[in-house]
Amino acid sequence: MARIGVFVCHCGENIARNVDVEQAAQAARRLPGVAFSDHYPYLCSAPGQKMIRDAVAEHDLTGVVVAACSPHMHEPTFRSTASQAGLNPYLCEMANIREQCSWVHTDRVLATEKACAILAAMVEKVKHNHPLDPIELPVTRGALVIGGGVAGIRAALDIANAGYPVTLVERQPTIGGNMARLSETFPTLDCSQCILTPLMVEASRHPNIELLTYSEVESVSGYVGNFKVRIKRKPRYVIEDACTGCDDCSVACPESVPNEFDMNLSWRKAIYIPFPQAVPAVYTMDAEHCVNSNLESAGGYRVLACERCHEACGPKAIDFDMKAEIVEREVGAIVVASGYEMMAAEEAKEYGYGTYPDVMDGLEFERLLSASGPTGGEIRRPSDGKVPRQIVFIQCVGSRDPARGVAYCSRVCCMYTAKHALLFKHKVPEGRAYIFYIDVRAAGKGYEEFVSRAMEEDEILYIRGRVSRVVPKDGQLMVQGVDTLSGETVRVPADLVVLATAMIPADRGGLAKELRLATDPYGFFQEAHPKLRPVETLTAGVFLAGSSHAPKDIPDAVAHASAAASKTLEMLSRPKLHREPVVARVNELQCVACFDCELVCPYHAIERAEIRDRQGNLIRLAARVNEAMCEGCGVCTAACRSRCIDVAGFTDEQVFAQLTTLLSAPAVMGERVEAAEASEVPA
Amino acid sequence: MSAETVGIVEAPAPGVDVTAKAPAWEPRIVALVCNWCSYAGADMAGTTRRSYAANVRVVRLMCTGRIDPMFIVKAFEEGADGVLVSGCHPGDCHYVQGNFYARRRFTAFRALMEFLGLDQRRLHFAWVSASEGAKWSGVVDQVTQAVREAGPLLDWGHSSAGRSTGPAPRAESAGVSGSAADGSFGPSVSRTPLSAEDNEAITAHLQGLAARLLSEGEAGTVVGYTAGSLPGQMVPVFATRPEDARALAWNERCVNNLTVYVREALKKAPGDRVAVVVKSCDARTVAALHRENQIDRERVLLLGVSCAGVWEKGRMAGKCHACREALSPLSDWTLTPEGAVKAERPETAQGRAPETAQGRAPETAQGRASEAETARVEDARDTEIVALEAMTAQERWDYWQRQFALCLRCYACRAVCPMCYCDTCISDARRPQWIPAAFDGKGNTSWNISRAVHLAGRCTGCDECYRACPAGIRLDLINRRLVREIEDRFGYNMETDPGAPAPLTTFQPNDPDEFL
Repeated sequence: MARIGVFVCHCGENIARNVDVEQAAQAARRLPGVAFSDHYPYLCSAPGQKMIRDAVAEHDLTGVVVAACSPHMHEPTFRSTASQAGLNPYLCEMANIREQCSWVHTDRVLATEKACAILAAMVEKVKHNHPLDPIELPVTRGALVIGGGVAGIRAALDIANAGYPVTLVERQPTIGGNMARLSETFPTLDCSQCILTPLMVEASRHPNIELLTYSEVESVSGYVGNFKVRIKRKPRYVIEDACTGCDDCSVACPESVPNEFDMNLSWRKAIYIPFPQAVPAVYTMDAEHCVNSNLESAGGYRVLACERCHEACGPKAIDFDMKAEIVEREVGAIVVASGYEMMAAEEAKEYGYGTYPDVMDGLEFERLLSASGPTGGEIRRPSDGKVPRQIVFIQCVGSRDPARGVAYCSRVCCMYTAKHALLFKHKVPEGRAYIFYIDVRAAGKGYEEFVSRAMEEDEILYIRGRVSRVVPKDGQLMVQGVDTLSGETVRVPADLVVLATAMIPADRGGLAKELRLATDPYGFFQEAHPKLRPVETLTAGVFLAGSSHAPKDIPDAVAHASAAASKTLEMLSRPKLHREPVVARVNELQCVACFDCELVCPYHAIERAEIRDRQGNLIRLAARVNEAMCEGCGVCTAACRSRCIDVAGFTDEQVFAQLTTLLSAPAVMGERVEAAEASEVPA
Repeated sequence: MSAETVGIVEAPAPGVDVTAKAPAWEPRIVALVCNWCSYAGADMAGTTRRSYAANVRVVRLMCTGRIDPMFIVKAFEEGADGVLVSGCHPGDCHYVQGNFYARRRFTAFRALMEFLGLDQRRLHFAWVSASEGAKWSGVVDQVTQAVREAGPLLDWGHSSAGRSTGPAPRAESAGVSGSAADGSFGPSVSRTPLSAEDNEAITAHLQGLAARLLSEGEAGTVVGYTAGSLPGQMVPVFATRPEDARALAWNERCVNNLTVYVREALKKAPGDRVAVVVKSCDARTVAALHRENQIDRERVLLLGVSCAGVWEKGRMAGKCHACREALSPLSDWTLTPEGAVKAERPETAQGRAPETAQGRAPETAQGRASEAETARVEDARDTEIVALEAMTAQERWDYWQRQFALCLRCYACRAVCPMCYCDTCISDARRPQWIPAAFDGKGNTSWNISRAVHLAGRCTGCDECYRACPAGIRLDLINRRLVREIEDRFGYNMETDPGAPAPLTTFQPNDPDEFL
């Protein structure tokens, strides 16, 4: 038997000015099933809430309707009040008679009539509310960080420092990511590796961090708080604990391979360390390029054509028999820090990238600048090794170009191009640097000052305009473009051309698929809300850090990573995970297993459950909702033709009750209410 | 809600100050809104104190994806004069893609309601974001004004509304010809009709094949046609022993879609396979059932017969006029006058037919639609649809209300439809009872709309529902209209790509929504 309590708030004058709250409370009293109805100036105040609590106790209420402001404002408040009164919080609903009534209708009669209709509808809805308890989930107290760049390292350190175990997975042989490739960072011109390597070492030495390099995430199953991850550890063929990093193997190795760390501007050996400060400081044998191409022969039959590294190795750390290994980890949260790559857009190719050796992209130039790079920090042309006197930098190659590249701005290029030009001028004072730009975007702290310094002190010439072509001429490259500020076409002879190519996500969709993460049209992972939830995804328990989310500079990547760690810790630090019980449920008796619900669920929260008889024989399948993953949107419910699935809190019965009541509710107070009560308002 | 009291405000009780005019009638409008965007947007309108008309009553849902067209139907049934659906802008859905599905659903529903003659001023869709308070108040005023102009909705489910006994426009009035006598088969496709000898040859091959399948244990049941008790009538038959195969026959009177039996036949004989004689149109139903996980395709043998059109009541069936597929590409065995040949069916994934030239879900619905339109040839049903759409909305509404008035709620349409396989039909639901059970105007209207909506994107156009209906309600036209809408809007064609994902369980980010 329903005993609903109705509480009409004046909200001071906000509601009472346009809605006759006294009449509304009286009208509510006449609704079937209402055991108590009253009004009060400020229900959200302490005495107001006490009134509700007292009424619940005194009148043995089975449900509460607070006719006041919007549920967006105070639903948690009044649900908490109900809870304190011993009533399940989900038996409390709000009727919005302020934002959607008294504040927008000045005609008192119409506003009061509408308020009564809204109230009546919510009373009917509440009669169909069920007590719901938050879904409790256990949490595995550990995290997985995918990607060992600066963002991944920062996130891992933050979580580990808080006392939780972290598994940090990196597919390269070393952590450090793209930041390790940089020579100096803007705007401070800090040596990139100098500020990064301490973090790398800390991560490797941290008692709470398990570092799995040269490893990739193979599969992820489970759900928030309870993920099971399978990680493939690729074989290094070098025993990590035995390797002393002495380099004898590399010297002995006969096979040279383009050095990816140096952006293919130099050579390494098939057994190598990516850079001297690599973490872990062990060598890796690149099985693809080693002369012994059948290292992983399936039949176990192996022929070694070359064992020079093994012979040269003092500690005998080379093991040709190493196999790939799958390790499994159970974690509560996952942070995705898979980072970025540079895109060689069509536009880049139009400028001769890939055709002329003296056309390169920003990361390649970075390696030239770096003291640990292929030229020891001297800027030299790839074609003839000479020092360039004139360098032309072209901005926005591929970025801001929906037709041939990507539509977005890659955020960091204006700054690093200014930095490149500035460092070039420091190394080659008599050189000239030209930058073709569209806009100069220098929004960060100290950024604008840095660019101004580049322009004024280092006399870097900024030309506003696009480049139409780059053609070789007399050993140089003729860059032809336009200077829009003067309206003239310009032709600049360049010894070297550097293209600021677009930043694209490093993950090509593999991780997105495995983690069931949405991506934007460019492959960057989709955040839960662009403004308010930039590190969460719509997959509960999976967070984003760094450029995997969107192009970022280092300070933003680090901040983003710490934010992701904070969200992770929020989860891990609770004894149990509580989720809102507004989730869908399937009536498995009626389900005909068409699985349209499974198709449309944005969270892949619907599974195919096997219905078996007592002997264990499979009778049929039925849909089943994983309450841990369901977000309660109800798309499944509308997709189900036989209506055997429903969403708690917004059930069909509740919607039906509201629809029918709203349309039959009293038009005018007084007599009509009686007539309504008698014939139209459903009991 | 009887006509006299709809929306009319009675004299107010003493003591109530009614300084405003006593309105003659005020529109009653229900708005179904999503919590995260439109509801918040409505709140924003309040926070910024924007005044708007008081006629709209809001029902809050978590997502527009939760909205079932039945909610809208129920609203109209209960006395709403207009309904507004409002949600997040496409791409902004709090649940990623709920509003994309909603958009597709409403596209189909709106087309259906327009076809049924509902004044389109009564049905509105909008995208209002949480920051668009001004837009919300503008939308409410606009919608209220539009509904006011449309007037009170008095004839929803009123079977007595303008009752006349005029039948639906028939094919002959629309100028579609076709009869066995003059040898012409309709305006669109020229096909060589099968002669009596051809039919006998196919029958012989079919009998032989069936007997072989049954005796070799390849199939436990063969579902086919046999001669019925009335002259020329062909009825279903289930052959389970080799000697039963003698009853099987094929001719141009094998009209019915036998695939409705497949699902149950499979359940009854768990170990066996079921073979079924199918025309090309019938085979698509099997593909659709497979796509919806209702049958194990490996356990079904499609015996595809060479069909040049089927006949009923002295004329070629409406659906055959535009058919271009004499033999189904989905067949496991093909039966032609020349013989029974095992078909080379390429390995297909989960319920998907082989790629056809027209391909699958389009990159852009727009471009695809024009291709589909030129590709689609109009059939007899289309001609009648055109005739209906030439009427005014009110005329059309009256026509369909008369049609629905004839409905007995016998549910024969549901029984013969292969795609109506739910163990508990929505019409049987009692808590809540979305579809009134009584066979009055409201219940009948609700039932027929709901069934059409449930079939949207799934109907294969076999017209069995129409054939089975004892009241002769033109269910074929309703379903055909939706098939065309889906095809035009979403580029989905059952005929060419039956294995593609059902259009209402998928979406394109740029689905057309110019009706907003």
